[in-house]
Amino acid sequence: MSFDADVAVVGGGLGGLSAAISAAKEGLSVVLLERGAYSGSKNVSGGRIYVHSLLKLIPDALERAPLERPITRETYEVRCGDRRVTFTFQKRNRDSFSVLRAKLDDWLSHEAEAAGVLTSFDTQVTGARREGGGITVETNRGEFKVPLVIEADGVTAPTSRYLGIRRLTPEQFMVGVKEVVATKPELPEDEGEAKVVLGLTAGLKGGGFLYTNRESVSIGFTVKVESVQEKLVKTSELIEDYRESLGIEGEVLEYSAHLIPYMGYRGLPPLYAPNLMVVGDAAGMLISDGFVIRGMDLAIGSGTIAGQVAAKLREMNNFTRTDIYQSQLEDSFVMRDIKAAWKSFKGLSNPRFYEVYPQVICDVLDSMFSVGDRRLLKVAQERLRKEGLGLTSLARDLLWFT
Amino acid sequence: MNLLKRLGLNKYEVGESHIRVNVEICRSCESKPCIAVCPAGTYEAQPDGTIVAHYERCLECGAALVACPYGAIAFKWPEKGISYRYG
Ligand SMILES: Cc1cc2nc3c(=O)[nH]c(=O)nc-3n(C[C@H](O)[C@H](O)[C@H](O)COP(=O)(O)OP(=O)(O)OC[C@H]3O[C@@H](n4cnc5c(N)ncnc54)[C@H](O)[C@@H]3O)c2cc1C
Ligand code: SF4
Repeated sequence: MSFDADVAVVGGGLGGLSAAISAAKEGLSVVLLERGAYSGSKNVSGGRIYVHSLLKLIPDALERAPLERPITRETYEVRCGDRRVTFTFQKRNRDSFSVLRAKLDDWLSHEAEAAGVLTSFDTQVTGARREGGGITVETNRGEFKVPLVIEADGVTAPTSRYLGIRRLTPEQFMVGVKEVVATKPELPEDEGEAKVVLGLTAGLKGGGFLYTNRESVSIGFTVKVESVQEKLVKTSELIEDYRESLGIEGEVLEYSAHLIPYMGYRGLPPLYAPNLMVVGDAAGMLISDGFVIRGMDLAIGSGTIAGQVAAKLREMNNFTRTDIYQSQLEDSFVMRDIKAAWKSFKGLSNPRFYEVYPQVICDVLDSMFSVGDRRLLKVAQERLRKEGLGLTSLARDLLWFT
Repeated sequence: MNLLKRLGLNKYEVGESHIRVNVEICRSCESKPCIAVCPAGTYEAQPDGTIVAHYERCLECGAALVACPYGAIAFKWPEKGISYRYG
């Protein structure tokens, strides 16, 4: 049977583009199918990218990529009504940058084209079937027959679903809701802030974020879908309350939303099947530990590895041995970091972090700065007892993060 | 800013509906979680307990694929739909 290319990459987000670039650099013929009119047109992040894996793929990316600001200030804020606790950690560095996906992904797609990738936009994959020793990908622009598919079609993993190896359930996901607001940050040009805000999601499991871009801020929250189904808080309204509580003024430029995988190491979907490798969000690769959220660097890292394995498989002339991808992932930062985050993943499923502890922290600090009982531990203990908890249960809950 | 104004900031190219709701199931659904989950306010309850899907509001976040616990929503990507300018 004759094939249309060595590999078809489904999805032209960061994961798919990285896979395509890395396979093309190895000399493979690559066709990339993206349903949007341009890369990034359907994609949303918070967001802040940790650039380590991008720099492996494109060493001079810091000079050329459309990055917004280096994140030099990490702020953590706990809100309880009109009281709040805030701390900020400052460090000049260029490890992570705020980004806007419509710009970043579009840029990377031009890098892919320059590397020889055949990109096809407005091309939606609508089905996939096994045939003739490979996979036939069905699209609105006809079929592509290939010996190998790299699936990078994002959090809802359509290709895996078409091939019958994946089912979606609500507990696997968070929903992220975001606004980009025009406002000039009061920071030096070469500094940016990332902020995590707890206590403003109406009791929904999750948290809020804020990132400063060059001329705007990105604000929003990520909450567990199950939690919304249970508490019936309208996400479409919560976002407005969130912006108002943050006190952000300025013209809203865009309103966006996207699902986020939330599966943890033990809950990951199949990462490969014969003739198929799954990268990025489609493979559930996400770290959210209560301080940072990381998916973009994992998508780029897993995509890069998938592209290299594709070359190896062609050399072996055996496209069924995609298990090699899994073992290379296990040896890389991708799986190491996802595995390490497993404990905080479990810890964060504890409702006390959303319903009880923010109040307790505020109450304890409140008493610290008031006239009255100012013995920290004693106040904390009494406050916890009111919730039917003790210092030991607090310690046990926090141990999940160590 | 109200929801429709916010959605109006986005660039859409609207075609045929990509969402089908089996509204007979909705009639007996008390809590209607799809309404809370969908950030675009796509699902609107009617007085008779059914749901109207304003598919043209869709932000293509994907939540519709898991929002309904009773499998009443059939959702596929639209052919054109939204194009984010920031993302
Ligand atoms: C609100 C929010 C905040 C986040 N914050 C951060 C952050 O601060 N830092 C971070 O690192 N990560 C963050 N993430 C996660 C990050 O955005 C994702 O992990 C990342 O986008 C995954 O990249 P990907 O290439 O795997 O998937 P995507 O970027 O989703 O790309 C998938 C691509 O496939 C295309 N596609 C889908 N279906 C089809 C089809 N049938 N046919 C053809 N093409 C198709 C899509 O159009 C898209 O271009 C955040 C996510 C959200 C939603
Ligand atoms: S779509 Fe599902 S969740 Fe929404 S009203 Fe109908 S049955 Fe209920």
